[in-house]
Amino acid sequence: MRTFSSERSMSSQLFSIQNIHFRYDEESVFQDFSLAINQGEKVAIKGASGSGKTTLFRLLLGFEHPEKGEIFYHGAPYSSKNIHKLRKEVTWLPQDLNLGSGNTSELADFIFEFHHNKESKPQKTKIVETLQKLNLSEEILESTFSNLSTGQRQRVGLAICYLLGRKIMFLDEPTSALDERSKQKVSDLIMKEDLTVISTSHDPWWVERCDRVIEL
Amino acid sequence: MDIIDLSWWQLGIGFLILIIPAWILWRYKTGLNKKLGIATVRMTLQLLFVGYYLEYLFELDNAWLNAAWIMVMVLVADFATIDRSELNRKKSLLIPIFAATFFGIIVIDLFFLEAVIQLPTFLSAQYTIPITGMVLGNCLRSNVIGINAFYYSLHEHQERYRFYLCCGATRNEAVFPFFRDALKKSANPTLASMATIGLVSLPGMMTGQILSGSSPLIAIKYQIMIMLAIFSGTVLSVYLGIKLSNRFVFFENDVLDESIFVD
Repeated sequence: MRTFSSERSMSSQLFSIQNIHFRYDEESVFQDFSLAINQGEKVAIKGASGSGKTTLFRLLLGFEHPEKGEIFYHGAPYSSKNIHKLRKEVTWLPQDLNLGSGNTSELADFIFEFHHNKESKPQKTKIVETLQKLNLSEEILESTFSNLSTGQRQRVGLAICYLLGRKIMFLDEPTSALDERSKQKVSDLIMKEDLTVISTSHDPWWVERCDRVIEL
Repeated sequence: MDIIDLSWWQLGIGFLILIIPAWILWRYKTGLNKKLGIATVRMTLQLLFVGYYLEYLFELDNAWLNAAWIMVMVLVADFATIDRSELNRKKSLLIPIFAATFFGIIVIDLFFLEAVIQLPTFLSAQYTIPITGMVLGNCLRSNVIGINAFYYSLHEHQERYRFYLCCGATRNEAVFPFFRDALKKSANPTLASMATIGLVSLPGMMTGQILSGSSPLIAIKYQIMIMLAIFSGTVLSVYLGIKLSNRFVFFENDVLDESIFVD
């Protein structure tokens, strides 16, 4: 497996994976794998199915532990304490977001009502503005979430992640269900900001717009 | 009116009616006849045992002995809840669900038996054992529905749960929708039977009282009380069962311990 290092200085290093080993039962996914991701970078992770893209996200989000090696966030090794801190500083958008039954507005409100998010709860105008930037109309808020198309759910999820105001975004195949126009809108919204975007993608259009490509 | 005693041979005749369902089940090759046989034998033996035991318990009428019997009933219900919820008998589930059911039953018993009925002797067997049994039987059914719904839904929609965590939710906040749905699923059957009671069916306790000579008015008062006890007991035990077990089935990184599920 290839090992990647960043050309940027250590001081802006956000995540550092050092010589990790990870396996599911007998199947080895990572062996002596290292990677660094810097603040503000737009990274695309590519690879065939089963190459470890999802596992890499799970490791970085603290849902899995490496068997050997260590992962660092802002220079500190992962622990239960800083995993909880990390999850309050990032957002993660799954490829096919399912928020259960209910209308979009209620389901989004539920997230903004979390204790940690209460102070940053956006005004309705800001929500509508963000939806429009993603090529979505205000009416979508009153629609049943599960009746939306995959592309609409993906963009609603992205709007929620964006409105939470986090500086680090993990995006799982963010353009997989989008047309050219919507892709452009998504890119315009998040690629220009001072955001660190770590994405998995098979879409050459999206990969081309990232600063760095990591092939697993 | 005096109660008509049922002799053993009369009861034996009663078993003959099983020929009809057994023939229907056999005719349509349901494969349920063996199960029917086992269930009938088990029911008879269990109730015979309980009948003789209760006679003895009523005679002694000792509050400690009654409390010990409740403990045994809760313990059996605890194992049954976990097995029927298709979960593994792990300490992380057995202890919290036992504590939840026991606490739920004790609260309901103390409230209804001591504060409402005001028994002349504390935890008198004649009232404590049947009422506890009725509430516990319903708690078991609701716990199975609620606990199974909660954990299997969380297992199935892990991505949603993790999405909430990555949106800044605490574990309690992230499980909230799953908790709410489990409570709804477990409370709905009791609510539905409360809404139709007396119209669609005459409940067992009321029928039993009327058969043993009570006036229908006394019987309905007891029936209303038992419905209130059942509803409160089931909601409380499902709530506590999920809340307490939640403390032991997650790892430090908030990932659900998958070993609780039966493969």
